[in-house]
Amino acid sequence: MKEKVSCKEVMRYVCECMAQDISSERCIALKEHLESCEHCKQYFKSVELTIDCYRKYNVELPENAHKKLMNFLNLPDE
Amino acid sequence: MMEHKNSQRTRTVNNLSASYVAEESKLIDLAKGGDRKALAQLVKNYEQTIYNFAFKICRHRDKAENITQETFYSMVKNINQFDNKSKLSTWLYRIVANHCLMLARKEKNRQFVSIDNDDSLYDEKYIADYSRLPTKYTENKELKKILDDAISKLSPDYRMIFLLRDVEGLSTEETAEASELSISAVKSRLHRARAFLRNEITRAFER
Ligand SMILES: [Zn+2]
Repeated sequence: MKEKVSCKEVMRYVCECMAQDISSERCIALKEHLESCEHCKQYFKSVELTIDCYRKYNVELPENAHKKLMNFLNLPDE
Repeated sequence: MMEHKNSQRTRTVNNLSASYVAEESKLIDLAKGGDRKALAQLVKNYEQTIYNFAFKICRHRDKAENITQETFYSMVKNINQFDNKSKLSTWLYRIVANHCLMLARKEKNRQFVSIDNDDSLYDEKYIADYSRLPTKYTENKELKKILDDAISKLSPDYRMIFLLRDVEGLSTEETAEASELSISAVKSRLHRARAFLRNEITRAFER
């Protein structure tokens, strides 16, 4: 008899199941739910997009800040 | 699913080739012996990573610059205490994380959203249309503001974990080491931080 899970449970626990590839009954049930539920699939897609946005948002150390840093540390900057 | 993606990500600092590691450990040995040129090279190898990370925590360029200076000052001062058991990058992340947290604690007037009780994070109403979620607008000013605002609501303890693990691409073990937390604490904070940020961004784009 398969365990039924709700979307909310999937949202809460599926990260852990995915991360550890747990083969417990609950994780299998969660993965099955995820396969067949468009809502939950979209939820995970959106979490991935969120992470991706933060990953792509980068800043560069300005050249003068680099010079100030080497100066502050009293290190040679050839 | 997400973990799988993480493992495939190419990272400059985390995906070091064997020759780079050998080169770096030579530099570290020289630096421990007081070689200023070797120290300078180590700073140059990591200044960009550290500055970028400090910015991602405090979302402020001048503060990030100061934190970068403090971090490398600590590195130069304490390089002899680095034991070669962990990666130099993980050690530096721990130092920069500490400096960021110290700075955040000084700014006591800041208010953060509490996500320690995580039940509301997984409200089903947030499974909504996310088609307006940005995919290729990372140069977009409006999106940057949304990203800044969302992460600024998180307390720095949570921010730190999300950034180390998901954004910088450290492993769960390295994140635990850099943040001086247990692996289970890292995991629970990470999941809550992800869910929180995802909800904030989805809501911002629904407006
Ligand atoms: Zn579902």
